[in-house]
Amino acid sequence: MTPAPFTQTPPAPNSTLLEVHDLSVHYGYGAGATKAVQNVSFRLAHGEFVGLVGESGSGKSTLGFALTGLSKPPAHIEKGRILFGGKDIASLDAEQLREQRHGGIAMVLQSGMNALNPVRSIRNHFVDIFRAHGHVERSRWTARATELIGKVELTPSVLDRFPGELSGGMRQRVSIALALSLEPELMVFDEPTTALDVLVQHAVMNTIIELQKSENFTAILISHDLGIVLESAQRVMVMHEGRIVEDAPARQILQNPQADYTRMLLSHYADPRAEVVELPGFADRQQRRAEGAARADGATHAPTVSPRTRRTDQHTMIVDNVSKIYPAPRRGEAPVRAVDNVSFTLEPGAALALVGASGSGKSTIAKLITAVEKPTSGSIRFGDLDVGKLNRRHFRRLHRDVQMVFQDPYSALNPLHTVEYALTRPVINFTGLTGTDARRRVLELLDIVGLNPVEEFAAKLPHQLSGGQRQRVVIARALASDPQVIIADEPVSMLDVSLRAGVLALLEDLREQWGVSLLYITHDLLSARVVTDNIMVLNGGAVVERGNTADVLRNPTDDYTIRLLDAIPNPRKVVA
Amino acid sequence: MTTSLPPTTAIIRAPHSSIDAAPSPWKVVVRVASTVWSNGKARIGLVMLAVFILLAVFAPLIAPYGARETGFERSADGSAAHWLGTTAAGEDVLSQLLYGAQISIFVGLIAGLLSTIIAVLIGLSWGYVRGFGADVINFIVNLFLVIPGLPLMIVIAAYLSGGGIGMIIIVVVITGWAWGARVLRSQTQSLRSRDFVTAAVFSGERPFRIVFREILPNMTSLIVGNFFGAATAAILAEAGLEFLGLGDSTVVSWGTMLFWAQNSNALLTGQWALLFAPGLCIALLATSLTLINFGVDGISNPRLREGTKR
Repeated sequence: MTPAPFTQTPPAPNSTLLEVHDLSVHYGYGAGATKAVQNVSFRLAHGEFVGLVGESGSGKSTLGFALTGLSKPPAHIEKGRILFGGKDIASLDAEQLREQRHGGIAMVLQSGMNALNPVRSIRNHFVDIFRAHGHVERSRWTARATELIGKVELTPSVLDRFPGELSGGMRQRVSIALALSLEPELMVFDEPTTALDVLVQHAVMNTIIELQKSENFTAILISHDLGIVLESAQRVMVMHEGRIVEDAPARQILQNPQADYTRMLLSHYADPRAEVVELPGFADRQQRRAEGAARADGATHAPTVSPRTRRTDQHTMIVDNVSKIYPAPRRGEAPVRAVDNVSFTLEPGAALALVGASGSGKSTIAKLITAVEKPTSGSIRFGDLDVGKLNRRHFRRLHRDVQMVFQDPYSALNPLHTVEYALTRPVINFTGLTGTDARRRVLELLDIVGLNPVEEFAAKLPHQLSGGQRQRVVIARALASDPQVIIADEPVSMLDVSLRAGVLALLEDLREQWGVSLLYITHDLLSARVVTDNIMVLNGGAVVERGNTADVLRNPTDDYTIRLLDAIPNPRKVVA
Repeated sequence: MTTSLPPTTAIIRAPHSSIDAAPSPWKVVVRVASTVWSNGKARIGLVMLAVFILLAVFAPLIAPYGARETGFERSADGSAAHWLGTTAAGEDVLSQLLYGAQISIFVGLIAGLLSTIIAVLIGLSWGYVRGFGADVINFIVNLFLVIPGLPLMIVIAAYLSGGGIGMIIIVVVITGWAWGARVLRSQTQSLRSRDFVTAAVFSGERPFRIVFREILPNMTSLIVGNFFGAATAAILAEAGLEFLGLGDSTVVSWGTMLFWAQNSNALLTGQWALLFAPGLCIALLATSLTLINFGVDGISNPRLREGTKR
């Protein structure tokens, strides 16, 4: 690697780069303010790689934004100081802040892949930065951009492409290269890989780790995933409800966690290849249910769901040699074979995992089963319904029994309707209940998914709920019609680790107590292991491996399955 | 129902009266109004519009004379008795201006409302349906878009001559809905691919309800914006048509005032108020509606709204 043309005097290792002193960040003012970050103090030395772990709402991103001077109203620094190289960041005005971005602090955002301007080529993105800061001579612009793009393991031809022509992983690499272009001393990565596919995630993370070593910048990696952080960072800060509850070297966190919260986070990691997999909530059901209720409102009792009276007309979903071919995206290209000769049956009460990276066709299968898309060939039968040829007018007949839980709870709820409205509609449409009866059923559904107090949650709008609460509403809506089959499309990928267990246990409960069959679409093999009996691994639309979940995951035969298993971040790997 | 009701304290606690409480449409109206009001420019526009409406409604009380009351000195300049002078036919200009506001505002609001309703109905269903139906609508809308507006208006108005205000409203609506329909259609198309629309299909909703209860509320700001835009265009078109003498010239409105002022060569005789006063009123009314449009943006984005309050 060629040396950076703007060599600064190398700072002494272990000298303090950043010092945060008793920092509090609030949203809003006065008594009603949300205290996102409270009395946080820490110190960063030159060249350190520090992980900042916490669940959503823990204030980790707010802290990251405060450090980079990007806090937006109503967020504001209530008290405390952020000393970066001895200067207080909070006291800088906009122009000083802009100037310090060169050689100062850079940030890579979670949605960094969307942060690129779609109508400007990658080269222009670099040029904009070079022009704004004037730290690279005009004659060296191309050379410097090529060098930067090389550092994130992309070829120079990427410079002339537009963001829309790049994959998510490539775009995120470009964002990292853009952040590097200012030769920052401190890089803040805010969930840099969360939006990416597992295999890509793994590769991008490796790039970041290697860059940190070769460029020797100081890095803060903000993530909700303790596994990723432990694999990459030397020191880990665990954040919970606005406070740092633990700050220790990665190895120590793993072997000897001090805070209860850290232990709780760690307990949610396991190796899907292990002989026996135990996750909190799946080991001891009774206890988990009590915990679930306690988390929801602190005081009320656990929901008691009586087992459903045995259905007489349980149907099996039979998928027979189904293919789906989409027309070629552009003239001259081959048509896209999204699903290639897939067959399986889903017995009543069974749970089947569909596993694969993005683009493997698993979501297309979900669309085919729910009649949203029509198969190109093959047949899908559910009871006496021919799902593949179902007319729009008969959707209600299918959706009474086959319901779907969406991946993104943030877009699956209409932002303008209350929770009550979202749940009332399917209740009225499918059960024929009206008025008070319908409302009673809605409250009952909320209780089943553990949103207590039900009255309060019924009146809320989606933006007043957390991601986990939204996903519970989405599940409650899927339950409204009392379905036989639930298709869960990555139901927990957008959720925090501690909430995941709750949602998964909820799905598991529904299956056990109500005899609902579950098609669980995921790239998360660990959750597939605990929730499902059987598994199908998809690659490029075709089934590459299938069988009993535990057997397949413990003795994978297909190369692709093995790669998927290897890409899973696992804290235990650090020790091993 | 196959599950028994769990003995939840929350349900027992629930006050019975709140059981059927659905979000009332009034709450939505109040919310929309307060959002618009919180914007400075929109507030100025609302105050201006309110003044015009009050003047129009109370014109019979405020106006010193009747609108068609003749017999004063002809073509007089402004005086204590006639602040803005009199017309060539001997009518009081100020009184005509006040009565004329009734017509302009009425035509503006009604024609704006009607063309918005047509735009919403056609735009939303056009955005939601696919296939042959969409192509047919596409053809019709394009037809209305490519025909030049003013000549079409003149032709229709000449054809329907003598229809009075009703005719003018019809002409303005026919020529004014297509653009709004196209804008609303593109927004509908982008919203229909959202997960919550698919989720509504899974909830067993009929297409009609999906379009008008799930998609439409998310476009409130576009629709309200479209309404104020259409109302502005309607006011201008009405004045334009009447100025050309295509309306009923016996009705007193700002457009006919301009028509008669032009006919009597008011500018040559130095009676600038005859042209200037109704012209300024038309401009101010259109301005007020445009200003209100600035405040409309925050309506369908709750997060945007919370961000502005601090």
